[in-house]
Amino acid sequence: MFEVLHSLLFSTLDAAPALVFAALGAMLSERAGVVSVGVEGMMRTGAFFAAVAALVMPTPLAVLVGMGAGAGIAAVHGFLSIRWRSDQVVSGMALNLVAMAGGTFLLESLYGPNGTPAITQLSRWNLPGLSHVPLLGALSGHAAPTYLALTLPFVFHLLLTRTPLGLRLRAVGDKPHAVATLGLSVPALRWGAVLGGGLMAGLGGAVLSTAVLDRFEQHTPAGLGFMALAAMVFGRWTPLGAFAAALFFAFGNALRIGLASSAPWLLDLVPQGFLLALPYLLTLLVLALQGQRGHAPAALGTPYEQESR
Amino acid sequence: MSLEDASLDIVPGELLAVVGENGAGKSSLMNVLYGLYHPDSGTFRMDGKPVRFKSPRDAIAKGIGMVHQHFMLVPTLTVAENVVLGREPTKRGLLDLDRACDEVAATAKRFGFQLDPRARVDTLTVGSQQKVEIVKALHRGAQVLILDEPTAVLTPQESDELSQVMRGLVAQGRTVVLISHKLKEVLGVADRVAVMRRGRTVAEVRASETTVSELASLMVGEGTKGAALTGVPAVASETPEAAAGPVVLEAKDLRATGDNGRPALQGVSLTVRAGEIVGIAGVDGNGQRELAEVLTGLRKLEGGEGTLLGGPLAGLTPALAKARGVGHVPEDRLARAVVKAMTVEENVALGRHRQPPFARGPWIDFKGRRERTNQLLTAYDVRPPDPAVALQALSGGNQQKVVVARELDAAPKLLVVVQPTRGLDIGAVAQVHERLREARARGAGVVMVSLDLEEVLALSDRVYVLYEGRVTGHFPRKDLDERELGRRMLGAEGSHG
Amino acid sequence: MGERTRQVLPSVLSVLLALAVCWLTIAFTRDADTATRAYLQMLWGGIGNWPAFLEGGSSNAVLRPLGEAAMKAALLTLTGLSVAVAFKVGLFNIGAQGQMIWGALAAALVGAHVSLPGLIHVPLALIAAAIAGAAWASIAGVLKLKRGVHEVISTIMLNWVAVSLVDNWLVIGPLRAVAEGASSITGTAEILPTAQLPRLLGDSSRLNLGFPLALVAALGVWVWLSRTRSGYETRAVGLSPEAARAAGIPTLWRAGGAMALAGALAGLAGAVLVLGTEGRYPGSLGAPYGFDGIAIALIGNNHPLGAALSAAVFGILRAGGTRMQLLGVHKSFPELIQGFALLFVAGRMVWLALLDRRQKRAQTQAQGPAQAGAEVPRV
Repeated sequence: MFEVLHSLLFSTLDAAPALVFAALGAMLSERAGVVSVGVEGMMRTGAFFAAVAALVMPTPLAVLVGMGAGAGIAAVHGFLSIRWRSDQVVSGMALNLVAMAGGTFLLESLYGPNGTPAITQLSRWNLPGLSHVPLLGALSGHAAPTYLALTLPFVFHLLLTRTPLGLRLRAVGDKPHAVATLGLSVPALRWGAVLGGGLMAGLGGAVLSTAVLDRFEQHTPAGLGFMALAAMVFGRWTPLGAFAAALFFAFGNALRIGLASSAPWLLDLVPQGFLLALPYLLTLLVLALQGQRGHAPAALGTPYEQESR
Repeated sequence: MSLEDASLDIVPGELLAVVGENGAGKSSLMNVLYGLYHPDSGTFRMDGKPVRFKSPRDAIAKGIGMVHQHFMLVPTLTVAENVVLGREPTKRGLLDLDRACDEVAATAKRFGFQLDPRARVDTLTVGSQQKVEIVKALHRGAQVLILDEPTAVLTPQESDELSQVMRGLVAQGRTVVLISHKLKEVLGVADRVAVMRRGRTVAEVRASETTVSELASLMVGEGTKGAALTGVPAVASETPEAAAGPVVLEAKDLRATGDNGRPALQGVSLTVRAGEIVGIAGVDGNGQRELAEVLTGLRKLEGGEGTLLGGPLAGLTPALAKARGVGHVPEDRLARAVVKAMTVEENVALGRHRQPPFARGPWIDFKGRRERTNQLLTAYDVRPPDPAVALQALSGGNQQKVVVARELDAAPKLLVVVQPTRGLDIGAVAQVHERLREARARGAGVVMVSLDLEEVLALSDRVYVLYEGRVTGHFPRKDLDERELGRRMLGAEGSHG
Repeated sequence: MGERTRQVLPSVLSVLLALAVCWLTIAFTRDADTATRAYLQMLWGGIGNWPAFLEGGSSNAVLRPLGEAAMKAALLTLTGLSVAVAFKVGLFNIGAQGQMIWGALAAALVGAHVSLPGLIHVPLALIAAAIAGAAWASIAGVLKLKRGVHEVISTIMLNWVAVSLVDNWLVIGPLRAVAEGASSITGTAEILPTAQLPRLLGDSSRLNLGFPLALVAALGVWVWLSRTRSGYETRAVGLSPEAARAAGIPTLWRAGGAMALAGALAGLAGAVLVLGTEGRYPGSLGAPYGFDGIAIALIGNNHPLGAALSAAVFGILRAGGTRMQLLGVHKSFPELIQGFALLFVAGRMVWLALLDRRQKRAQTQAQGPAQAGAEVPRV
């Protein structure tokens, strides 16, 4: 029993970081009032550039490159939606399509259809004291992103609730005009949140190709960005909520994969498709029960327009 | 809204009022002064030195504070968080909310306000929110405080209180700039009055050396009699006692819930007859809006009963209300009355688009629609008289003319109008008032909700006062008295009604 | 500049710019010559190799590519219309993909398991697909209208639910075709011949009834929106729901109806794919036509005919994409063009600002220098 639980926890912790980072990134952007449906594209870009960079530099540095690439996509999103007040959903979906097709094009023309060559994965850390403790031992033996994913949500929580910057970000997502009349720059705050969100989504993507896999694959991130959005909504746009939801979804995935190999008979009773659909169904259910309006930032998706004269 | 050649001298330690019609550029000038808008040309000097405000940050740094007409508060944050936003006290890099609360409480106390710094702003009354706004400016060390139409949402009594606050600030050596279009109120409190018209400052006079009618004529320009157009007594005297017709609306004990989930109507009874204008007075947010919505089928009636034009009030829908002959000029024109991205003729058809001459069977009747629209545009003097232009290309006054034209063209038996002249210039106000009187003369019952007491007094044959969803006063025309109305608006019960 | 020009020009410029940017992409990763030849291949692959045909080649050189383009254009038109119709009522239908999946499955099941004469079978399968798509879209509609759940989030979720349930369960589980002999089949059972959409240009071209069907749908949606009372009401609800409600328009029915119609159109796209070309619900739908619909609708400025036109353009480019492989360019390359075009359309405001500036400059040049500024006021 412990064996099973241990391996479930272990694979949850291995798979969760990408989801956690992307969900945090999306949340950061949305709390400041900018819709983040482009997170899938940012992840894909981050994953691609991290894998390519890892071919020529140490993998940890390559992860930074991936973060930068995510922020690059976010910068386009910011340019269109903050500078030019475009529809944020349109801009995000456009970036998703560009990242989807662009990733395929670059991958095929540079490396062929089988993905990038293998790279050195991020190294795994063994926590000596923990390795043999039952269950807690599952905490040991992961790459750095896992430990980062277990701490960053709390940092984000602190940032949003206990710092001046967090107060301003929350204010700018709820009522940007109030922030502007106090002499703070709405565009600057939103740019910061969008770029920060891009860094996080890029990190999430980079983790996929440097820790979960050892290359960039054709379909990366295969909808994980959208699942991150679900986690953010499920977690009511809060860092800890999004964190919990992301962990829960990752656990569900680990459970499904675990069952497929260890207890295939169970999957005859509960089809895999159902389990795959579960995170989304649950998110829909929660939304249907509570309604969404109470929790989304009030000015989410509304371009800020300061009359110029 | 634009400014051309507007100038203003602000003298320290005085209360300067800036008056003008809606759209005269008062708010624009103040927003320029506050660094929110940027002028194409022109200069500011403070203490003799030229200054340039790139953003409100610069203005705040120079000691200018502003209370906007629409409050600039973040509803989900507390009073203290709203006040310290942008200059938050910290302890080791983290927000020090306790200190923030102490500081805000101290500032509030220093100026005589009672505020709970830990209360969430969306739980406060309008009057308290305004105090938060003032504290926000003072907390930033404002020496010059600009208040943009601060009394628009206040009762006469609350306005008096605000006047005392403003005088108190001036007595402490601060400067207050009050923007208003309520001339009587301005003369009662200001030291000096600047008059704006069409983006220009046309006069600066000492408050003690001028009169309401002089200011009014300065506001509207040469050759127009101000008093006749501002809706002050001259207009009121034109209104004769109405000959009451048959009852078109009889409502008993109406109850309904507001958008915030709290009870908005808690037992309102009223009667409206054909051929009379019934005013509904009250401070903003005391159930007037919800009453109008119940009468037009927009809000669900949750208790009480009534008869509206021969049918029950319960279960009324907007479509049913229209079918029975209810016309509606709603408060928020852009949100409720028109689809601004559609053309003028599409807006003229709105609500009647299923019947001739606007439709033939399931199809739109383009020709009939065009003809009827052209007739109305001519009759109501809408400019430009182009049925195919997008409605949003029209000025606010002309948009409102289109709405009034549409509603009256349907020959309503009951007309529900809410704030019919908000944001209009004086010419348009006069025209709208004239049309309401015409509707009454034609035998329509008119229910007019207005926050502008002057308007209520000028037009109504009878007035109901609403306070917290109840009728606290009912006055026939001959008993109308502004102070008494004000008392009832604050909830005082009386022998009447 | 007329209002209509202002509507159309940004889309045209965006597509042209996207073509240019993507040409540069190949030119940089390969060389300019390859880029140009790849573009030519894309063109011949989309509209047919007319030079070869005119020099006496077989008619297949033209008919086959045109058939491919028309087939893709039909799918893109239908999903584009789906997104555009929802937009008209103010809803962003990201869920055309999921609606299309259910439509395709319904068409495949009716096509394979109901036996009827062709004249009834095809319409029945189409109707089943439309209903399936409409039902799936209505979930998002009801969540939005009754519970205030934002449709962007709900349709994204519903897409993944549809993919998971259909692709990862139904078509590999209960609904999988029974293997015949040794060959294992992916997807559902083959549809009956009576359910196939008739081919219009013989066997050499895959052009089928789906293309005219899509065009009729586009025309129908246009007439409905612009000429009928209910279309007018739908637009009013989209532009200002509050004003529409106050005007006595049944806003919930109009919004719900438009969302259902959007789903029905996406469902039809699924049917056209299954009944016209695939012959069964394959292992998965292959291309994300539902997401493409977003690009098509927006590039077409949410106008039904604009969507049809942009679907035609990208149908041609995407049919030609396969030919680009001859030069080592991946066949998904046209999707990159499409993505960039959408991105540039998303910057509509930038285009309009540029166009306005250009126009202003032209005017000032015509009128001579503007008057000097007003006199400086004192403050």
